[in-house]
Amino acid sequence: MLETLLPILIFAALGLAVIGAWRRVRLWRQGRPSAVPLLKGLAAMPRRYLVDLHHVVGRDKVMSNTHVATAGGFVAAAVLMILVHGLGLAQGVLGWLLLAASATMFVGSLFVARRRRNPPARLSKGPWMRLPKSLMAFSLSVFAITLPAVGLLPADFGHWLLALLLAAVVVWGLGEMVFGMTWGGPMKHAFAGALHLAFHRRAERFGEGNRSTGLKALDLDDEAAPLGVEKPADFTWNQLLGFDACVQCGRCEAVCPAFAAGQPLNPKKLIQDMVVGLAGGSDANYAGSPYPGKPVGEHHGTPHGPIVAREGKALVDAETLWSCTTCRACVEECPMMIEHVDAIVDMRRHLTLERGQTPNKGAEVLDNLIATDNPGGFDPGARLHWAADLNLPLMADVKQAEVLLWLGDGAFDMRNQRTLRALVKVLRAAEVEFAVLGNEERDSGDVARRLGDEATFQSLAKRNIATLAQYRFQRIVTCDPHSFHVLGNEYGELGGQYEVRHHSTFIAELFEAGRLAFAPWKGGNVTYHDPCYLGRYNGEYEAPRNVLKALGIEVKEMERSGFRSRCCGGGGGAPITDIPGERRIPDMRMNDVKETGAELVAVGCPQCTAMLEGVVDATAEVRDIAELVADALVARPAAGATHRPQAEEVI
Amino acid sequence: MAFDAIFQPIEIGKLTIRNRVVSTAHAEVYATDGGMTTDRYVKYYEEKAKGGCGLCICGGSSVVSIDSPQGWWSSVNLATDRIIPHFQNLADAVHKHGGKIMIQITHMGRRSRWDGYDWSTLLSPSGIREPVHRSTCKTIEEEEIWRIIGDFAQAARRAKEGGLDGVELSAVHQHLIDQFWSPRVNKREDQWGGSFENRMRFGMEVLKAVRAEVGDDFVVGMRICGDEFHPDGLSHDDMKQIAAYYDATGQVDFFGVVGSGCDTHNTLANVIPNMSYPPEPFLHLAAGIKEVVSVPVIHAQNIKDPNQAQRILEGGYVDLVGMTRAHIADPHLIAKIKMGQVDQIKQCVGANYCIDRQYQGLDVLCIQNAATSREYMGLPHIIEKSEGPKRKVVVVGGGPGGMEAARVAAERGHEVTLFEAAEALGGQITIAAQAPQRDQIAGITRWYQLELARLNVDLRLGTRADEATLLDLRPDIVVLATGGHPFLEQDPQWGYSENPEESLVVSTWDILSGKVAPGKNVLIYDTICEFAGLSAADYLADKGAKVEIVTDDIKPGAAVGGTTFPTYYRSLYEKEVIMSSDLLLHKVYREGDGLVAVLENEYTGALEERVVDQVVVENGVRPDEGLYYALKEQSRNKGQVDLEALYAIQPQPCLSEAGDGFLLFRLGDCTAPRNTHAAIYDALRICKDF
Repeated sequence: MLETLLPILIFAALGLAVIGAWRRVRLWRQGRPSAVPLLKGLAAMPRRYLVDLHHVVGRDKVMSNTHVATAGGFVAAAVLMILVHGLGLAQGVLGWLLLAASATMFVGSLFVARRRRNPPARLSKGPWMRLPKSLMAFSLSVFAITLPAVGLLPADFGHWLLALLLAAVVVWGLGEMVFGMTWGGPMKHAFAGALHLAFHRRAERFGEGNRSTGLKALDLDDEAAPLGVEKPADFTWNQLLGFDACVQCGRCEAVCPAFAAGQPLNPKKLIQDMVVGLAGGSDANYAGSPYPGKPVGEHHGTPHGPIVAREGKALVDAETLWSCTTCRACVEECPMMIEHVDAIVDMRRHLTLERGQTPNKGAEVLDNLIATDNPGGFDPGARLHWAADLNLPLMADVKQAEVLLWLGDGAFDMRNQRTLRALVKVLRAAEVEFAVLGNEERDSGDVARRLGDEATFQSLAKRNIATLAQYRFQRIVTCDPHSFHVLGNEYGELGGQYEVRHHSTFIAELFEAGRLAFAPWKGGNVTYHDPCYLGRYNGEYEAPRNVLKALGIEVKEMERSGFRSRCCGGGGGAPITDIPGERRIPDMRMNDVKETGAELVAVGCPQCTAMLEGVVDATAEVRDIAELVADALVARPAAGATHRPQAEEVI
Repeated sequence: MAFDAIFQPIEIGKLTIRNRVVSTAHAEVYATDGGMTTDRYVKYYEEKAKGGCGLCICGGSSVVSIDSPQGWWSSVNLATDRIIPHFQNLADAVHKHGGKIMIQITHMGRRSRWDGYDWSTLLSPSGIREPVHRSTCKTIEEEEIWRIIGDFAQAARRAKEGGLDGVELSAVHQHLIDQFWSPRVNKREDQWGGSFENRMRFGMEVLKAVRAEVGDDFVVGMRICGDEFHPDGLSHDDMKQIAAYYDATGQVDFFGVVGSGCDTHNTLANVIPNMSYPPEPFLHLAAGIKEVVSVPVIHAQNIKDPNQAQRILEGGYVDLVGMTRAHIADPHLIAKIKMGQVDQIKQCVGANYCIDRQYQGLDVLCIQNAATSREYMGLPHIIEKSEGPKRKVVVVGGGPGGMEAARVAAERGHEVTLFEAAEALGGQITIAAQAPQRDQIAGITRWYQLELARLNVDLRLGTRADEATLLDLRPDIVVLATGGHPFLEQDPQWGYSENPEESLVVSTWDILSGKVAPGKNVLIYDTICEFAGLSAADYLADKGAKVEIVTDDIKPGAAVGGTTFPTYYRSLYEKEVIMSSDLLLHKVYREGDGLVAVLENEYTGALEERVVDQVVVENGVRPDEGLYYALKEQSRNKGQVDLEALYAIQPQPCLSEAGDGFLLFRLGDCTAPRNTHAAIYDALRICKDF
């Protein structure tokens, strides 16, 4: 009886799955066009899955092995099942392979089940809770129906009732695993996830050592293109596809600083809200942690309705979007390679450019940038006031230099001026030939861009590029990772290609080259805070640590360091939009510092310095790496005493 | 950005100054060996430059001519080429830290003394005597005028050759240039006096000669007065006319403006306004000059606080603020602003200890910062943490000496406990601050309160420490700064008794602290003649008492400095306080409800009586030595200080000797009655090596 039933069930499930897939593709196709090469993408997909994706998944070895067994077992079992039971090709090794595949899948599903017994808060519940049972149903039933096919059991083993029961379990398994895959069940992730990998909007992020973190420019000359994303259908189709790939594992939620601070953001929920939006409906069925302070079930949306309501509620509230620090911790952790930050900035672009609704100090900062080319609204002629006694060479005078020292807007900040002065001292000690743009420099546009003001960003960027084009230099060095990122990764699309170094990288190189010598470290315990825009955005984790090591400092690492570093709360314009939460992100970060017992936290970012120094009753002092280096400088034995009329002080 | 107006660079002539804060010219009294700048001089200015000061104008009243005596105030001598290499050291030291340095140059004319050194004949336009220095002079001759003009030019050349950034011509404080300007002093009828142009001529010739000598790439400024405050002197309008006249030459790079003339005791007090003045009392005069000139204007006089400086600069009243005493109190003022440590700035309180020493020909020191001008000895403004053992330090007494000892020991990284019998820190400062117009002296305590809190010193206020309490803490070091008490028991005839009911006299402390209510008719006998007697008189008069202050010295307040006694006198005369001198307090006795004070004339022995209801005696302080002698024998060092090490600013040898028990040091008035600076200096030099 089963021999007759199984092909019908299998092909019915496959048929329904194809219909489901078509419907799902239509939902994605509501999005705007995106120029990705389809066939090339499909060809690249297996490698992206097996290498790039598993590089992320592999950070959790148990889950990685579980997934290999379960998913690998399932893919093999499904294909073999079609051959063996759908097409009746039971002879030879195929049946045995099917048994092995379904048994592997079953073992995997036991581990899936174990994880679901006391699931961590980050995992979504709901339909996901039944998935282990479905996996077992599928694997067990496939195993059982295959036993007769290989002759381990007689073909007529058991009663017709047993056969019926088995058929029912097969239906369950096929329903979840094949039908459910395209009709919105948990297994949707396999279908959407595979296609998402194939058609990913950042193909360049895949491959050994590659990363792609710069925001993509908005074509401001294309009158047809919306200024940012107002409604789900304003995303590109492959972005919608990406959202659909989410497995709701909540790794993003677990690392999101805004979520931890009790601000109304949960990256997982945000992606799920986009999924709700692309299909239409409400978030009532969402079974994970809500946005802190926002009950589930009150928001709803449609593909062509606004994401953020002009009045009342729609899919998400604006404050959710403005809570993000753009730290990329979610993107870094996402096993499905979803680009949360791109989506958030896309939606911010609409709020800022179309609606003028940048909250709190946002509008003022953008006005300042437009009027004065710096976010603080300072007199643009005051950018070099901090260096009046340093006689810095100006590019306008010298026209060319080995290093162009990019000051960043920290030049207007008294605290950061100390870092800049320290850096100048270090450059001079190493006899680096450098010059600055001085008052010709403008804000890099980082904040404008992250606040969604693409127009102001591009205006600043184009003018900076034009200024830089007048001069010859080998590389740009900056102590500001935001400038570093923007100049290095985001100006390229607008025509500015530069070799940019963070000062820690440059100092590490100078030390390596024997151009700096340091007195032994006499201070206490030190930890190092990785700035997001240096670490996750640019992959520079080693140079700052090498510099600290050169200073004789043994870094006491925080639990969250390196690519898992916790944001200081200062990125993405978050201190400007200032969405209230239950606690402050920098306080949490200083608590991380405290746990190491460090008396000093070394940083490499003006924003991090400002945020961490703003913590009341902090147990550790905050110093930029440049300051530590400047303090430790001793004359190199070879270097002659050169008389300099400039100030020695870094204060 | 906070304080952005302060940190805006400015061009003076062709020179860029990194911020708007200036240490204006004052006499340091550190230039020795015939007026050569010393290591001390260089280090004093280097510290300011290191601390971030934009421009230092050094050498107040530095002389250009051999007949303007240099020795009285150890001022810098620019009358010889010998000075040039010394200037090079000074310039290098300041430039190394990004600062700029100029020097004030002058011929003081009649404003000096003739009775020493070369026995110079002083000069002035019309030979009129100067009252503050009691100096007589001759009427200057044409040949001398031209010689001195040439001397100015040569002095400017020496400054330039020495690498300084500029010179400031002093036409203020009644020096020779403004002696020519002022019709009060210049009665000449030749081309050097009479008409406006004639009175201006000397200064103009000096300016032209100097500019011709140094060229355009060297700063030449002028320091002028904003109003002489004499009916027969130069008014503010006159000064505006003068400033505009010189400015029109295009040869002056900046003007420094000082409110008030100073050739009388009373006007002198305006020039360096003490704590009785409001903030920036003469800013309006400088702003008036700024209205009529085209170059930057600098103004000092009671600008002590960064917020005040920011407000003045933001308002555009002047272009640069002089914060000279502010830098004497804390040469790291600017660095602390930049570090966001405004609360850690040791702010000048206007005690004028610095300038009052200078007018006596003594080296300029700060009442509350013992490291200032002692940089060359190795006394630190920033106390480094000790690399030696962490010690338990117990300080007894919360007056200036005790507070400094606790601060320094805590900065060294030790565990510090401070006992103070009163409910608040401050010791005698708290009492001194009760007098009218003297409240700002409490700023000394305020700074220590903030610092001791920042340094987590364990403060035991309202707790009188005894031997047992101290030893219970098992201290490594005990510092006694217990001060003393008013010395009323010295002469039994005064009728002092420890029982307040029976005592015929009370102390100035009793009055100022409010312990004893003011009488209605009060005699103050002040044999000390420092601040306490005048403060008590002012306080009592302020409360409505009829007051006579009597001294056996030459005048009440005789030991109070030249910029401070005038402000007391203004207040006392206004309140009709009677000031009598040359009378000893012979005896006090009770008669009916009142008291009779018998006074004896110092010179004739004649007795006279005053019938009053309260007799206040100021006879200084008697050290409280009880605790010291209770601990002395138990201490490892028997309470002794190694003087060789102390004076050489070296560590006390006992600190590095091993042994059980504690070390004992005492300082301030509990050793011998001296002053605030002495207590703080002792505390710093003993405790800096803990």
